[in-house]
Amino acid sequence: MRQGKQNGERRSFGRKGQLPDYMTENICEDLIRLEDMVKIYDTGVLKVLGLKRINLTIHRGEFVAIMGQSGSGKSTLMNILGCLDRPTIGHYYLDGVDVAAMNPDQLSLIRNRKIGFVFQSFNLISRTSALKNVELPMTYARKSKKFREERARVLLERVGLGKRADHMPNELSGGQRQRVAIARALANEPPLLLADEPTGNLDTAASVEIMELFSQLHKEGTTVVVVTHEEEIAAFTERIIRFRDGQIVSDCPNVPRECGEERKTDASVKAEAAQKGDEALC
Amino acid sequence: MLIENMKMAFSAIQASKMRSFLTMLGIIIGIGSVISIVSIGDTMRGLFADLYGKIGITQAYVAIGYWVDERRQSDYFNLEEMERIKEIFGDEITYMDCDSQTSADASCARTTVKFNFTGIDYNYNEVQPINLIYGRFLNEGDVLGRRKNVVMDTVSAVNLFGEENAVGKSFRTTIYGTTDEYTVVGVYQKDMDPFEAMMMGANTEGGEAFLPYTILTWPNDMIYDLRFFCRSEETMDELCANIKNYVARIKDRRPEEIQLITARDQMGQWNGMLGGVSTAVGGIAAISLLVGGIGIMNIMLVSVTERTREIGIRKSLGARTRDILVQFLTESALLSACGGILGTLLGGGLVMAGGLLMGIPTVVRPGVVMLAVGFSALVGVFFGMYPASKAAKKDPIEALRYE
Repeated sequence: MRQGKQNGERRSFGRKGQLPDYMTENICEDLIRLEDMVKIYDTGVLKVLGLKRINLTIHRGEFVAIMGQSGSGKSTLMNILGCLDRPTIGHYYLDGVDVAAMNPDQLSLIRNRKIGFVFQSFNLISRTSALKNVELPMTYARKSKKFREERARVLLERVGLGKRADHMPNELSGGQRQRVAIARALANEPPLLLADEPTGNLDTAASVEIMELFSQLHKEGTTVVVVTHEEEIAAFTERIIRFRDGQIVSDCPNVPRECGEERKTDASVKAEAAQKGDEALC
Repeated sequence: MLIENMKMAFSAIQASKMRSFLTMLGIIIGIGSVISIVSIGDTMRGLFADLYGKIGITQAYVAIGYWVDERRQSDYFNLEEMERIKEIFGDEITYMDCDSQTSADASCARTTVKFNFTGIDYNYNEVQPINLIYGRFLNEGDVLGRRKNVVMDTVSAVNLFGEENAVGKSFRTTIYGTTDEYTVVGVYQKDMDPFEAMMMGANTEGGEAFLPYTILTWPNDMIYDLRFFCRSEETMDELCANIKNYVARIKDRRPEEIQLITARDQMGQWNGMLGGVSTAVGGIAAISLLVGGIGIMNIMLVSVTERTREIGIRKSLGARTRDILVQFLTESALLSACGGILGTLLGGGLVMAGGLLMGIPTVVRPGVVMLAVGFSALVGVFFGMYPASKAAKKDPIEALRYE
């Protein structure tokens, strides 16, 4: 997964020819480690405790669902895991590097190289083609144009949109858009894929497609963290962390719920989901 | 990255063509007016240079200063003095006459035409381009012998005699109270472009003729000013100073009381005036650039707000503060530079069309065009700075949440 640096890395100006120390290859078995992490929102009038003393470790190669109702703190956690926000107190080690003390530009670099985002509302840039959208993280990584285009085509092929590379986002269906977003998230071969309600705007069939794609990526070695409130979605993962009121209330492997019952296969979930979809239609 | 930014900026500008155009309008008008004013100034300057080139840049007049209140009889030149000056400065002066002119009615048969007569020396055609097409020019004998011979242009000849080739024909006129018969010895063609005609007055109805200056000085022999041509432009300043001092000495005046005007000084005055007008009007036009710049800032602020979510997405994908800053700066600079280019086309086009219509060769300097477009881009960068920094400072979480 991490041999991208030799290929197409263009020399940029000044001292940035080389990546800073915190970006050097330190493959750490604990991809995510939160230590006594607290997030407080200061609204000016009162301070709101967003997350209370979170301790959490996610290993490389895991497929994790973070569940909880809205307001449970799961989005806050997502923002911190995604280096969009910083913890107020405590430490967040991403790939062995403490992110808590970094400035916005350093965080940008980390987001660019180590994290792939998949959002509920796809968040594609509407004026540019699918291909250009996938190229975008590589543009910010200063890759050469040739390299970007080749890799973007490979990625779109991989998510099954090889023939739609030059379509604009508004010419694609929701599921297709989300697959473009996943291709984009994979552009710089990040070790961590963060999906925030990735199926929230999709119908059941598309949801299943997207989750199968995540499963596939997980099998290929990517660490995938999915935030969701749907049990059907969480069922695809191997570990479910439940949140309530800014705290982890349960953290257990996604094993068969009743003894002896096999873990639900993709097919069975799909059937179930389809059935549920039909019911919803009635 | 720069090319990427350019492409992004182009697609952003193209996405809302009408709005982009309206935003550019201020810059278009600003640059358009600056370009046209500077070009008109340059064109005028070129025309004056041509004009003075034709009448002779080394031409000069010397006389008692018009500001001297108390005049004496001796302040006027006489022919002897003129000859002496010619002798003393002969090497440096190519031509000298007494700048005498008079107007009188000339009549031939039943036709009477008002004529302007200019007294000249026989070598006048060596310092002024006279395109003689019939007959000969005045010669030394005409001047020394005060012969009543004239040289006129084709238009005057047609007006008086009804035909261009009037060589050998004669007419009657009264100069200084004496009526005499004058004979045409030569006819020349006047080549004037519209600007010259405008500046020097085109002759369509009356007549103009050259005659020996000796006819116009005699019998009065009182010359107000002397006209001369210097041999070279390089040494004319020194020569003029010497002549001024000499004239002051023989007239018992201080050099400050002698007036000496050269064509070059006059041209310099015109140029200075044109330069002043260009600068003043250009400055006013530059204000419209300022207004245009503010328009760009305004639209960029709107654009930044509209695209908050895009900024959030870009930041989440790894865009640094500077990447966003440069993106929006590129956009405003490009918007403004496009306005500059359109303005240049507009201004330059108007000037060229005007020149074509009036038959005047126009000058649009490439340097000015480059400066104008460069300056408009700079306006874009300057006024784009605030919106771009606003965009760059956006918090990614807030920006992503923006609807």
